[in-house]
Amino acid sequence: MTYLNMMVPGQSGRVVGFSDDSKMVRRLYELGIQPGRSIIYLRNAPFRDPLEVQVGYNLITLRKSEASLIAIEVDE
Amino acid sequence: MSNQNAAGNVISESTIAICGNPNCGKTTIFNAITGLNQRVGNYPGVTVEKVSGTFSVDSTNKHSFTLVDIPGTYSLSAFSPDEDIAVSALIGSLKDAKSPDGIICVLDATNLERSFAFLLQVIEIGRPIVVAVNMVDLVERRGLKINFEKMSQSLGGIPVVPVIGNRRVGIEELKKAAADLPNRKPITVGTNYGPEAEKLFERLVNESNNGHRNRAEYLRVIFDANSPAEERFLLEEPDLMEVLREGQSRIKEVHGSLSLTETAVLSEKAATLFQEIVTIVRPPKTRNSERIDRVLLHPVFGPIILLLTMIIVFQSIFSWSEPLMNLIDSSFSWLASQVEAVMSPGPLQSLLTDGIIGGVGSVLIFLPQIVILFLFIAILEDSGYMTRAAFLVDRLFRWCGLSGKSFIPLLSSFACSIPGILATRTIEDRKLRYITIMVAPLMTCSARLPIYAIMIAAFIPHKTYLGILNLQGIVLSSLYLLGIVVAVIVSFILKKVIFKTERGTFLMELPSYKIPTVHSVSIRVLNRAKSFLLRAGTVILAITIIIWALSYFPHDGKITHQFASQAETARFELKESTQIYSSRLDNFYESAPVDVRSAVDDIRESFSVGNNIEDFTLIRSQMNEQHNELYGPIEALYEIQRQELATETALTELKNLEAGAYLRNSLLARIGKTLEPAFKPLGWDWKITMAILAAFPAREVAIATIGTIYNLGTETDEESLSLIDKMRQARWDDGPRQGEFVFTPAVALSIMVFFALCLQCGATVVTIRKETSSWWYAWGTFTYMTVLAYVAALGVYQLLERFIY
Ligand SMILES: Nc1nc2c(ncn2[C@@H]2O[C@H](COP(=O)(O)OP(=O)(O)O)[C@@H](O)[C@H]2O)c(=O)[nH]1
Ligand SMILES: [Mg+2]
Repeated sequence: MTYLNMMVPGQSGRVVGFSDDSKMVRRLYELGIQPGRSIIYLRNAPFRDPLEVQVGYNLITLRKSEASLIAIEVDE
Repeated sequence: MSNQNAAGNVISESTIAICGNPNCGKTTIFNAITGLNQRVGNYPGVTVEKVSGTFSVDSTNKHSFTLVDIPGTYSLSAFSPDEDIAVSALIGSLKDAKSPDGIICVLDATNLERSFAFLLQVIEIGRPIVVAVNMVDLVERRGLKINFEKMSQSLGGIPVVPVIGNRRVGIEELKKAAADLPNRKPITVGTNYGPEAEKLFERLVNESNNGHRNRAEYLRVIFDANSPAEERFLLEEPDLMEVLREGQSRIKEVHGSLSLTETAVLSEKAATLFQEIVTIVRPPKTRNSERIDRVLLHPVFGPIILLLTMIIVFQSIFSWSEPLMNLIDSSFSWLASQVEAVMSPGPLQSLLTDGIIGGVGSVLIFLPQIVILFLFIAILEDSGYMTRAAFLVDRLFRWCGLSGKSFIPLLSSFACSIPGILATRTIEDRKLRYITIMVAPLMTCSARLPIYAIMIAAFIPHKTYLGILNLQGIVLSSLYLLGIVVAVIVSFILKKVIFKTERGTFLMELPSYKIPTVHSVSIRVLNRAKSFLLRAGTVILAITIIIWALSYFPHDGKITHQFASQAETARFELKESTQIYSSRLDNFYESAPVDVRSAVDDIRESFSVGNNIEDFTLIRSQMNEQHNELYGPIEALYEIQRQELATETALTELKNLEAGAYLRNSLLARIGKTLEPAFKPLGWDWKITMAILAAFPAREVAIATIGTIYNLGTETDEESLSLIDKMRQARWDDGPRQGEFVFTPAVALSIMVFFALCLQCGATVVTIRKETSSWWYAWGTFTYMTVLAYVAALGVYQLLERFIY
């Protein structure tokens, strides 16, 4: 298991859980980043932050600091 | 509510709110329903923009509805203070604001599962709801099939209307359904949040002493710990604190998390609904948007494309608008000359031509640029590219103390800082938002352009370096750059010293790319143009009239008297000195034979064609060649013409002196002269000082004032000089530099630098006050910018004056 911010562009995985219980986590959840869903790390912005991910059919952008809250099981 | 309309019919008014996730097409549908009947206001006492409009379903206007566009949120659980206000307006928990009589909930057909979770929350408000499923045109491409009847059934009989907002498909049906809302009963779907939460809900309802709250309000209190909603509740019901805390910790104990308990229930129910209602016909292909992102967000090409886009935008603002601006300019000149022709000279004529037409015309000339800029912003926003631009620049902006979300507000500020400041509402972090607001007015807005344009055209030499670098262009770009660089420094200082910001967030959805529609883009541009014209027609017009009055009065008749007698003398002298030539000519003519007479007539006619001394000299030598025997009459005619011309010039000069004397004697001049010493170190005479002080309420006034001052200060006849020429000829009328030209490149640069940095815009100050709910930020921004402007203008002038010019 790892965290979203540790992955590299192109990798995909499955959301396992969150490392805290804040408003931020709730918003992640509402945007579709929910345990059990698969997530694709698409790309970084210039200077490697923020990043773009795909969850289901949605494209979402978040910063590395926010990505570090999301625990991921990386696909082989 | 009901009142009487003009025809005496009783009309009823209901308020209907339109809500949905961000980018689901709320605004598009809102525009389609209300057209141009829109009004932007604020929620009472707070800073969140409230856009409302009206519509009616029958031509008799018996029932008119007020539609309110609620800012988009992903859930009713507010993430930022502003979301809290938007959500509260919808739920009805906002003080002083009536809760809506019905709700249009817009769902994004391509994102139904998430939309359902939101809808389930909205249903808890307990108001009649109609569901608009928008973007149904995209469903098929996505390989989905939606059963709308089933949707209505599963949602307890809620009316469901499929809509394609940007093509106005389904809008009439939606209007009808919305108009029917006040007659419908609210529905419930009985979402159950688990025994712990439900028990807490019941206890709160039973023990509360306010029976008017709806279930949605209680759910916010239960699940959003430490939120403004909870705070408000506890303020009203301090006795329930204990019950609430106990219940909340119970939920946390059982489910592991408070707020995720609600989201989990909602997502699960939404997923079930989705399965019942939507059939997946075939798996979706790779997202087009993702494919476009591969190019537009490419680490190398992405920034290049962004830069090119911005260059194109600014290039077009300047090049496309030019012909239109010239057209507006010449129409106003024409109008002024028409008015001058039909009216007799006097205060009223002067007010109309110099004051109103000159002043307003000099402002209206910017309409094309404003329209073009907002056209681009609307297209870039509607297409979905703006969010990508924010993504690309986020890191860079964070180094400067801002956020990628500051990009759109700052970009808009290049047109006008007011929409820019309003656009900061998407920044959740308060401090970051305030920093963005405080530097937004440093971006070069279009109201600064007129001053730049005229100063550069008049006083910056048209030189080219290395074949491509044009000095005028360099100066203009440097002024834009100056604003940006100062903004970076200021925001860095604000971040480090005053606000000490924590990290913000950049969590949002990148909307799918869409082709913007003519309708939605034109509505936005029209609304912008409308408010600009309104401003030109009110504030700017009023200031212009005041400035005109100050520079016209007291119109002391003694001055006219004095100059009239001088003019009389000049005319008399002319008569005296030409007398001898005329009588000689007459004598010659009378005694001459017929053919000589007609030759003299010819010569006379030839001379009448000339306009200036060169013409006359030329005609004289031509005539001498043709009629060398008529030397005497030719000389006489030439002398008469020459002297008449000299007198005419002298008379115009006198008129100018008279106008100048009036101006120097005016109230404006007296004020200006008093203030002049403070601005002399910047190189400004009293006229510039007054033009710039007058421009504090609105920058555009500067040009209008300069126009008024220099028009009044010079005789305007049909061959009047352009404003630029008048400025070029302006000289100091007293003091150590008397007789020297007022405007030098150093003075022009000092004026421009002052404009670049100063907050000369009353509307912006008021907007900052409104947006931050504090005069502190408004006057703070005003003060730092004004001080900076004065110091920078002083520095520029002194440096240039000493070392270069
Ligand atoms: N294809 C398609 N695009 C739409 C439809 N309705 C709105 N849009 C586009 O979706 C984008 C977002 O719409 P907007 O009204 O700004 O969304 P809001 O954030 O909910 O106010 C705009 O580019 C619209 O032109 C629709 O029915 N079909
Ligand atoms: Mg909108």
